[in-house]
Formats: sequence, structure tokens, C-alpha cells
Amino acid sequence: MIEAIAMAHAWEMQADPNVVVIGQDVGANGGVFRATAGLQQRFGTDRVQDTPLAEAMIAGMSVGMAAQGLKPVAEIQFMGFIYPALDQIINHMSRMRYRTRGRLSCPVVIRTPHGGGIHAPEHHSESTESLLCHVPGIRVVIPSSPARAYGLLLAAIRDPDPVVFLEPARLYRAVRQEVADDGRALPLDVCFTLREGGDVTIVTWGAMTAEVLRAVTELDKEGVSAEVLDLATLSPIDSGTILASVAKTGRLVIVHEAARNVGVGAEIAALVAEHGLYDLQAPIQRVAGYDTVMPLFRLEQEYIPSVRRIVDAVQATLAA
Amino acid sequence: MTTFKLPDLGEGLAEAEIVTWHVGVGDTVSVDQPMVSVETAKAVVDLPVPFSGVVERLHAGPGDIVPTGAPLIDVAPTVAASTAAGAGRPDATAANSATVVGTVPSSDEELIETFSYARPPAAAPVRGRAVPVARALAKRLGLELDSVTGSGPGGLITLDDVLASANVSASPPAIAKMAAQAHTEPTPLRGSRRAMAHTMTLARDQIALSTVCDDADIEVWGKAGRQGGGYTLRLMRALARACIVEPALNAWYDANENARLVLKHVDLGVAVDTPGGLIVPVLRNIQAKSPDELRAALATQKEAAHQRALTGEDLRDFTLMLSNFGTLAGRYGIPQVVPPAVAILGAGKVRPDAVVVDGRVEAHLRMPLSLSFDHRCVTGGEACRFLAAVIADLESAE
Repeated sequence: MIEAIAMAHAWEMQADPNVVVIGQDVGANGGVFRATAGLQQRFGTDRVQDTPLAEAMIAGMSVGMAAQGLKPVAEIQFMGFIYPALDQIINHMSRMRYRTRGRLSCPVVIRTPHGGGIHAPEHHSESTESLLCHVPGIRVVIPSSPARAYGLLLAAIRDPDPVVFLEPARLYRAVRQEVADDGRALPLDVCFTLREGGDVTIVTWGAMTAEVLRAVTELDKEGVSAEVLDLATLSPIDSGTILASVAKTGRLVIVHEAARNVGVGAEIAALVAEHGLYDLQAPIQRVAGYDTVMPLFRLEQEYIPSVRRIVDAVQATLAA
Repeated sequence: MTTFKLPDLGEGLAEAEIVTWHVGVGDTVSVDQPMVSVETAKAVVDLPVPFSGVVERLHAGPGDIVPTGAPLIDVAPTVAASTAAGAGRPDATAANSATVVGTVPSSDEELIETFSYARPPAAAPVRGRAVPVARALAKRLGLELDSVTGSGPGGLITLDDVLASANVSASPPAIAKMAAQAHTEPTPLRGSRRAMAHTMTLARDQIALSTVCDDADIEVWGKAGRQGGGYTLRLMRALARACIVEPALNAWYDANENARLVLKHVDLGVAVDTPGGLIVPVLRNIQAKSPDELRAALATQKEAAHQRALTGEDLRDFTLMLSNFGTLAGRYGIPQVVPPAVAILGAGKVRPDAVVVDGRVEAHLRMPLSLSFDHRCVTGGEACRFLAAVIADLESAE
């Protein structure tokens, strides 16, 4: 996935001279995870700029560049470091179009790794996407495979409005996938159906797709056919695909790594309660991280929803 | 492991043909060592090994045409190469996890996936689409929702559909269907009939009903006592006197407050059968009225009931009830107590019975009696003492 991300950067920088990359260590070092490796050598220090260790400045600089016609792609090294940048993201980036009555938009992409599973120290394993999803005017996007990382990052850079692009850190090098470097973007604001099934709908995103697909393999052995939707764009939610799937299966399990309380899963559950209640044959189940700080690495596998918990939740909806 | 792809060999060429591999699978190779000779449209070019390591796979053999950008060779980096973390190698394809914190898990597992984002076509009519309360009830009743026909929008199964399907009550769609079969129209219940339906449903749901039956030997009355509403007047007197012997049946019971109110005055509700339905006018303070006053009050109320001239005041707050159904037919019955009252006496058809008197069988007139009481607040002993007092008074000569 990390190579797909680097590839998408390179393609779009080649295709659009207004695309610039900024962030800590994105230049000479090639990024903390190597997402921008080689870009500075290829496109020069004007277009790939190392910044000081100051997230508020990175976001603020992006707003200014975007207002002047550039298309900045900024890296925040870990999601736990994004909080100083929230002032710029919420107070300026998200509302530039509104504030200028449509005269300016803010074509910024803020990239940041998401989630745990990489044995990192504290606040390097955050999955606080619901903080961002709550803010009007920002798209929140998260891929779950190299192919979708490539296609969705291209779409995010080309979008005229701000996108926070979350990258599941433990998937960076988890699998290999041939990705054609053809500059073809995937659509934003739609769910991706990873698997079709008739008994239960599982909605998930990011790194949790891996656990969900393993759970689905186990459920297959028990004769349970699950439909798996990768939410991909966390805000705005593709309600049509979710409701159509629930109408078909009658059951819904939502799986996310983030804490349960007021997570994006709660919004999906509310959506289905409002518009799909009569299709439900069983109460909605949420499988989520616990309502506590993401623990240090010895306990992180206890925190991240396990295959067992997902299978149990599916069976609970089938028994109801 | 790292895959090296066939680069554009500098001339904008789309492909190249493999001539000879200079390395093989399993070889340990180092950077810049000769790797492969390829022939393009213009020349034979030698490509050097791009990374040090062990060769894992050659993606094409001699004679194969390889498109520019397609995988050429897989090399597993040696340990020395992969620990160059943080050294900032400017190579996007370097297998270099490079993060200064944590460990990014890595594998060579090939991801094979298909995914789509086409919105699924509009769903076909959905099986068992139901409002949640209907679904919950069906589950409790052990009813398969698939077998229930939904009457709501889009075939939505409602609570009534489940009730109808479970035959718990006749629902409006069911009666409409029956009426259609009978080529007639259903009649909505109105007025006293509607009130009866409501009151009796309430009574059935609330009351713990018990009934005790016996007979009063009224042979001593003679012919005179049986004329001009005589039965009803005697029954009223007997009830008033029984309330003195056993006051517990002349009472109101409030289940919510779990309290009862034993009353001194007897306000008797008398069931009157009219063409419009059952009407129960109330005769107040019967214990304080003379037989003539009672006879007059009864006649007035019955007439008013038939004329439908009773006011709400005339129908409210009886403390005890009498149903003299025997004027029509029937020996015993199970009269229904109407809350908040706690008892009702039913009198059946008076007839001559064979009774044993001093060891001999004689024909005597007897009145069958059925006393229902709310067992939540009336004991069986109280009810039987009350019934015994009613019988004792009825069996007295005057």
C-alpha cells in the first residue's frame, strides 16, 4: 500500500504542476513510512518541502497555498499528532468555500496514518476519525487495499475540496497487490462491495477489513453468507449502498477499530434506524474498540476487534 | 521482497524481449551486477541488478515479450539492506519500513480481491419486512413472518397483521373479508353496545372472577309474591339485607392503589335488556327505601332505559349489581363483575323442582342464584356468607 500511495503522488505531481507535497521529513527522508520516497529527488525542493515540527503550521500553510491555487498534499506523521492542526482544519480549511461564498475552495489533502497494530508508543495508534467526520465541509476517506489507496488518493487530490486521507498503518506493508499505475481514480463518497452475501451485511473500513474478511471465511464454513461493505468515505456516508444491502440481508453488523462511544458506527446505526428499520430482522450489532485509550503494544491486540468478536456478533444477529 | 519492473529504456518503447538472464532463482546478487539482456526495437540492452539480495522469482523467460512497467524480477533483500531503516534511501521501491516508531507488519502475501462500487439494483420485494413490534410479537408467538401477509405500504407487516395471522383477535381486514363473503356490510358498534364491549373487555382483563351457585326455595311466597315485578323487588331486599350480614361484597376495589372501599349505602345496578343493548340504571340507597318506593323507582328507571332517556348520572357508580336474567331463560350463569364493583348476583328462571322435605320429595318453586365476585378482594367465605344471607331472606315468607 505504501508504494501505491507513493505512486499516486508521483502520477499526480507529474500530471498537475500545482500539486505540492509538504510535511515533516517528506522530502530528503521520504516520509516516516516512506509514502513520499523519491518525490523530492524527482520533483525538486520547491514542490516537495520539509516543514518544521508544527502541525498547525502545516495545515495553515496548506490553506494558504490552496487559496493561491496550489493543491497541497500534506502529511501528518501520526493521527495522534493531528490535534494541533484541527484549528486550521475546522476553522479555515473546512469553511473556505462557505466563507468566500464559493469564490475560493480549499483543495487540500491531509494524509495521516490511522489505527494501531504496529507496536507503536502511546498516541501513535489513534483512530479518532469521528472527530473529523463531525465537521461539515471535510471529506474523510480511508482505503483498505493498495488498489483503493492508489485510486482514492488520486481522487482526493483532484477533488476541489478538503479531504482528510487516513492510511491504515498496519496495512502499509501487510500484503502485495499489483496496481496499474494508470492514473485512474476511484470515486469518492461510495462504499466498495468487497463481497456479496445474503445473510448479513458487515460495514467496516480501513485495516479492520482484514479481520472482517477472515471472519467471513470462518462464517462461510458455517454456511453463513456475509456481504462486506468497505465504507471508504467515512464522511459523507454512502447511505444508498448500505440501505440497499440491509434491505437485502435484513441484518447489520458494523465493525470499527475506533472506540464505540459516538463512533462512526453509531451514525450508520442511526441512519439504518431512520430509513431501514422495517428491513431489519434483528437489532444492529457494533463491534468496536473499547471506550478507553488505545493501549500500548502488548495489549493492542486485545483492543482491536478480533475475528472471534466479529463472528460472535454476526451469530448474535442471526440468533435474534 | 521487492519487485523490479521493466523500466522505460529511455526511448519511449512499450516493450522489450528477454534475451538472456544472467542471474537465476536462489542466487545472491548485489547492486549493479549484470542481471538480464533485453532486446528492444533498437538495441540489446543489459540491465544491472537494482537491489542486493536473493533472487526469488523471474517473471519472464528468454524469448518472452515484457511490457514496460510489468514485473521483471523479485529480489528478497539481504538483512543488511533491510536494516537501513531511517537512512533515507531515496528509492520508492526500497523495502524499507523506515518508521522511527513501532514495526509495520509486512508480508509477501498476494492480495487477490474484487470489489465493486456499483449501487446494487433496486431490491426485489423483501421477505418479512415488518415493523419492529410486529416482528417481536411474531417471535414470541412462534409465528414465521414469511407466512404473514403485510397490509402496510409496500407489503409492510403491521402488528394487526401478526395478530390476525395468529388468530388472536378478529382484526378489521378479517371482518371485512367475512362480510364480503356474506354479501353484507359490517356494523360498527355504537352507544350502549359499544360501551358494553369496552366495559367487558376491561372487566375480563382485570377481574379475578369466581362464581358460586345455589337455589332459594320460594314455595312460601304464594301466588301474590310473584306478581308485578315481585321477583326483582324481593331480590333487591335480599341483597340489601345480605350487605348488612356481609358488607365485603358492597364495595369498590382499586387495583392500582391496592385499596378497597366498603360502602354503607347500597346503590344497585339493575341490568335491563333493551333493543338498543344492555343498560344498567342505578337505584340509589335501596337499603333505605320502602318496597313501594323501590317498585316506583324500578319502574321509572326501566321505562327510561327503554326510552333511552337515562342520564349519565343514572348509570354511574353502582356498588353492587343484579341481573335477573331468569325472566327470559337460563338457570345458572357466570355473571361478569364490572369494576370497580366487586360482586354481581344473577337470578335464573324460577321453576318447580323436586325437593326433599322431611325425607319426602315435594314439588317446590325454586329460584337458581349465581353470585360472581372479584376474588382479588373478596374471599370465598365472604361470598358464601353473602349468598346464604340472600337465600335466607328470599326463603322468608315476607
